[in-house]
This record gives sequence, structure tokens and C-alpha cells, in this order.
Amino acid sequence: MLQPATLTALAILALACGSLLGLARAGSDFATLSSLGPYLARLIVSAGLQAALSALLSLLLGIALALALLRRRFPGRELLLALLTTAAVAPTIVIAFGIVAIYGRSGLLGGLARGLGFEPPSIYGLHGIVIAHVVMNMPLVARALLHAFEREPGERLRLASALGFSAADCFRHLDWPLIRREAPALGVLVFLLCFTSFAIVLSLGGGPANATLEVAIFEAVRFEADFARAAALAGLQLTICLGLAALLTALTPRGRDEAGAERHAPRPDLGALRGLDGFVLALATILIAPPLLSVASGLGALPLLASTEFARAAATSAVIAVSAGLLACLLALLLASAARRSRRRSRLPELAAFALLGLPPFAFVAGLYVLLRGFGDPASLGLFLVPLVNALMALPYAYRLLAPALATSALRHGRLAESLGISGWNRLRLVEWPALRGAFGAAFAFATALSLGDFGVIALFGGGELTTLPYLLANRLGAYRIDEAGALALVLVVSAGGLAFLTQRWSARHA
Amino acid sequence: MLEIEGLALRYPDFTASYDLAVPEGALCAVIGPSGGGKTTLLHAIAGFERPGAGRLRFAGQDLLPLPPAARPVSILFQDHNLFPHLSAAENVALGLKPSLRLDESEHERVAAALAEVNLTDFAARKPAELSGGQRQRVAIARALLRGKPLMLLDEPFGALDPGLRREMIDRVDALRRAHGLTVLMTLHTPEEAAAKANLFAYVADGRVQAVGPWEKLTAKDGPEPVRRFLGL
Repeated sequence: MLQPATLTALAILALACGSLLGLARAGSDFATLSSLGPYLARLIVSAGLQAALSALLSLLLGIALALALLRRRFPGRELLLALLTTAAVAPTIVIAFGIVAIYGRSGLLGGLARGLGFEPPSIYGLHGIVIAHVVMNMPLVARALLHAFEREPGERLRLASALGFSAADCFRHLDWPLIRREAPALGVLVFLLCFTSFAIVLSLGGGPANATLEVAIFEAVRFEADFARAAALAGLQLTICLGLAALLTALTPRGRDEAGAERHAPRPDLGALRGLDGFVLALATILIAPPLLSVASGLGALPLLASTEFARAAATSAVIAVSAGLLACLLALLLASAARRSRRRSRLPELAAFALLGLPPFAFVAGLYVLLRGFGDPASLGLFLVPLVNALMALPYAYRLLAPALATSALRHGRLAESLGISGWNRLRLVEWPALRGAFGAAFAFATALSLGDFGVIALFGGGELTTLPYLLANRLGAYRIDEAGALALVLVVSAGGLAFLTQRWSARHA
Repeated sequence: MLEIEGLALRYPDFTASYDLAVPEGALCAVIGPSGGGKTTLLHAIAGFERPGAGRLRFAGQDLLPLPPAARPVSILFQDHNLFPHLSAAENVALGLKPSLRLDESEHERVAAALAEVNLTDFAARKPAELSGGQRQRVAIARALLRGKPLMLLDEPFGALDPGLRREMIDRVDALRRAHGLTVLMTLHTPEEAAAKANLFAYVADGRVQAVGPWEKLTAKDGPEPVRRFLGL
């Protein structure tokens, strides 16, 4: 009999394949695709260039920032770290708002420039996209590297002190080997995120010249109902993303030496490079803080949100986000339950969990819509499909959080549970849940926050009956109703921040 | 003589105050329960921890004002003594110049240090390609090359098999005699060092609670905490 993990994996893979087939079948005239050659080439080159630039800058600044944070202890360091976390998890549409609020013609810097007597340049275009991507991804790189640095064995630092390492020796023997090990995978990850970027490119791209495949798929489905073109673009994106995902897997470091529970070992190069570190910390703060803090400008505009439209959008967002969070955790648990049966890594559940990383959400949801459109109107289908697709998009992250906890539980107590005849629900409740609840809280909050801030799938179905907070924000941003957009961004950031805070408390209590 | 008097360290969860005297050229085994302060004592001597009070002298020299690299001390840990991206020879050469820009005579000294621990044929190998015992021998070769007279070994052979552990203790003892080193070595299995160590220091609750040769500490009228620790 098939196990729940296998059944869930097969169902997810069938859904993904069915969606692509549905999309492909809906395309009426594949012959016209041959004419898309130059268009596709231009699309890939421009998206690739944008993603490469964004990834390179995020990586270089992220490395410098991680090293500066590693070497320096200063008042406000914790605040900067919290700011980095917020930037990495903030909804993309909020980042887009922050960039417009600071760098836009009517924004803070634009107003300042006008006050000084010259016309500020437009933020829309490649530079706007790159700035937004760096604001989002530099913190991701810095946090990941800082975490890796802090997990390095303290003995190496003590050895470096005993051997009298200079700052250059520290970089060469302590930092560079770790950067060389971690940076390639981080670079590919950031490239992948930027290459498939949607909300930022749609809001700040300034036209088709800077479109990504994701935006092109959206336009093909939403504005032209050209499913053949969407299918071709989705196939292309899938191929590229799967290639990048394979590269990412190959480059991701396997096990490494890690520090045990020991007192912090000081670095021997603390006295050097103060000026450089100060410059990097100031630059990062200037780059990240203003767009994020700009949401505070929405405080005064909060009364503008006292409307039925806002209340409906908030309620819809909450229902979709909580449903997506619960569904993502349920699917991740079902897939991870493979560890109960086998102590070896199970390939099929992992494939199902991570396959969706490479699948463009628009292609996926458009395919499902084509298959299901006979069963209801777009708004009703959207209410069902948006949480489903959001949950599936959050699944890789939820799985990554829950699977190791379940595998560890199986390793430690699996045989004992089997020998005592504890199985099924009882095993989950008595044996696994105590070890899982910290990770479950984190996975649920992450998936919920991801769905709460999603301005991807909802862009296809949104409007009329079905409106969420990010959809409303994008709408207000497009209409240059910046005050109202600020208030909506504030609500989104406070909601996501509240979720992160509650998760941290939950995880700390159940660690 | 290594002289430690009222060397005090304070942490939120732990307080230590050490008194100990070890003659130059001796092998002193530091024993005691886990979490009792053995490693903290070695780290304080090496300069990784800053004592709040007390005296620390070796051969008449005050060590407290000196940074770790300037102290007459080499230290070996249980793990992570080698940098994984460097070969065995490069790891040894770090003891001479962290920049690794060596001249001909320095290369020869590195080769000689590796030869002294019987690792000439393993010079080009990375740590991952060496066994646990070979990795610790590389670290010992680096310590020898640095020519520091005081060697601290923080459970350096704890991860090795019993036979290899005894062999390594014999090797350290032979090097100590050949180079006139003073050695402090923390151990979980003190019986293995009974035949080699001149002195045993029993450390518990952040204090040196008993000092003496093996026979004295394990005698029927020996200190009760030590006898209880050893299960005698």
C-alpha cells in the first residue's frame, strides 16, 4: 500500500504536470510560437542581465556587511540585524512601495533634489529594479553568511589568535574559505530569485524592455489570454529554473564542522579595518533603512483605510494566508513523514517539495484555471486556487523547516516508538509533536507571511470580488495614491512583523 | 616553573579561581569532571580568557599582559586544530608565517617538523585525507616548529581509539623529553597517562582541588573527591 508521503508527492507532481498539460492544450496555435524567437531571446537576455547585476551587487555588499557585522559590536547592532530580517521577509510589493517613496520623483530624495533646483531621474527601469533587488537580497546574503561564520568552530579563532594572524591572514585562512564555500550557492539563489522576480519588475520595470519571463507569462494570460505563448514561456522558464535549481543543489555545501555550545571566541582582527567596517555598515543602513522605514509615513493615512473595500481585502487576505499556511504545513508534514519508514533520504517526497521552486506560479495557476474553468467563475476559483498555489509555493520552505525535525525524531525515537507500537496519530501527538512544534510554528508563520504579502497569483484573479491587501496596495501605487499605499504597506509590514515576533516567541518557548 | 596564583575568572554561569605550580619540563595531567573548569584553565594560560585577578608566570615572565601569540605557549584542541583548505605542510607552516611566504630554509624546517612526527609522506594531503591521529600529529609538528616551551593539550586525543591514544601520549612524552617542554594536558581517561605524567592536577568547580603524583592521589588515604571521581 502507498504511504501518505508517496501519495502526497504523487498528488503534487500530478497537479504540476496536469497544470502544464492544461496550459499546453489550451494553446490553439503553436505555429505562431516560431515567431517568438527574437522576443524570447531579448526577454532572456534582459532578465539575465538584470538578475546577474542584482545578484553580483547583493553578493558583494552582503559579504562585506556580514564581515563587518561579524567583527563589530556596537549599540544598534541588534536593531540593524532586525532590519535585515525585515528586509529579507518583507512583502515584495512593500519594498517596491519603499523604493518609490524614497527614490521616486515624488519621493523623499526626489523632493530633496527638486528643492535643490534640479529634476530627479526616474526610478523606473533597470536601476530601480536592481536597487529593489539589492535591498531585498543583500540582507538575505548577509544573514546567511553571518550565520555560517558564527557556526565556525571557536578553536579556529583561538588558533588564529595563538598564531598571531593579521587581518589579512584572518581573511585568507578564516573568512575566504567559508565565503568560497557558501557564496556560489547564495549567488545562484539570488540570481534565481531575481530572474523570476514579478512584483518588483511589474512595479518598477518601466515597460517591456525590462520584463522577466514571469511578467511576460502574466501579461500573456491576463491581458491577451494567449495560453500557447504562456505555455511556451512557462516551459522555457521551467527549463532554466530547473537548471539553476540543479546548480544550486550541486553548489550547496554538504555537512561542515560546526561549533558546539561554547563561549564566544573573539576574533584576532578586531583592532583592524574599523574604517572599512564603519563605511560598509553605514552604506547598508542608508540603503536598507529608508525604504523600510518609509512605511511609517502611512501612519497618518491610516484613517483613509476606513472603508468596506479595505475591510474586505483584509478579511480575504487573512483567510487566504491562514489557509495557505496550514495547507503548506500539512503537505510538508505528509511529505516529511517518509522519514518514519526509512532512515535514508526519500527522493520522491523531496522532488515533490522542491519541484515547485522551478515552476512559474502564473503558469501553474493558469494551467489549473484552464482545467477547472468549467466549474466556476474566476473569483470563486481564485478563492480556492490562490491559497492552494500560495501553499505549494511555500512548501519548499516549510518542508525544509519540518523535514529535519521529523527525521531527527525518527532517528532518535523511531525504533522505540515502533517497539512500543505507537503509530499514526498517536506517534505524531506523543513522540513527534514535542520535537516538531518549534519548527511547525516557524513554518506556519513563514508560509502565512509569504501568502499574506503575495502579489503574484492574486494579480491574475484579483479585482472586483476578490481583492487582497497586496493587490490593493499595487492598485493604489499604480494610481499614485501614495498616502493610501503607505498606510496599506504599514498594515502589511506590521502584520508580517507581528507574525515573525509571535513565531520567535513560540519557537523560543518550544525549542 | 609555571606559577598560577589566585587566577580568577568570572562568567554569568561559572566562577573559577586557580592555584597551581608546575615545574619546568614536567608533564602535568589535568583531570576532573566535565564542566569543572579544565579547559577554562588552559584557555586562561593561553590568553583566550582574561582573568579578573591573580598571577600567571612562566620561567619568571609575567604572561598576563601578553596577547596569545606573544605567550611562550602552543595549544592543541581536541578538534579543529587544522585549517581544512590547507595541506598538512601548509598547516605546519602557519606556525612560522601565517602569510605562508616561506624561504628555502623555512621549507626545510617544515619538512623536518613533519619528519619528526613521521608524516613526511603526508605533507601534501588535506586534513580531510588524514586520520584523526595523523591530524593531531600535524598539529603537534606545528607546535614543535613554533618552539614555544609550554605546550597545552586540551583533550587532544579524546576522539582516538584507546591504543592510538596511548601511542600519542607516548609520542608527546618523548617530544617533551627531547625538546625540554613543559606540558599541561587535560584528560578524560587519566589512567592512560599514569605512567608518563609527573604530576596530576584535579580540577572541579573552577578550582584545583588536589595536586600530586598518581600514586599519592590514588592512595587509600588520597583526596576523597579524586578517589570518588576515579571510582576507587
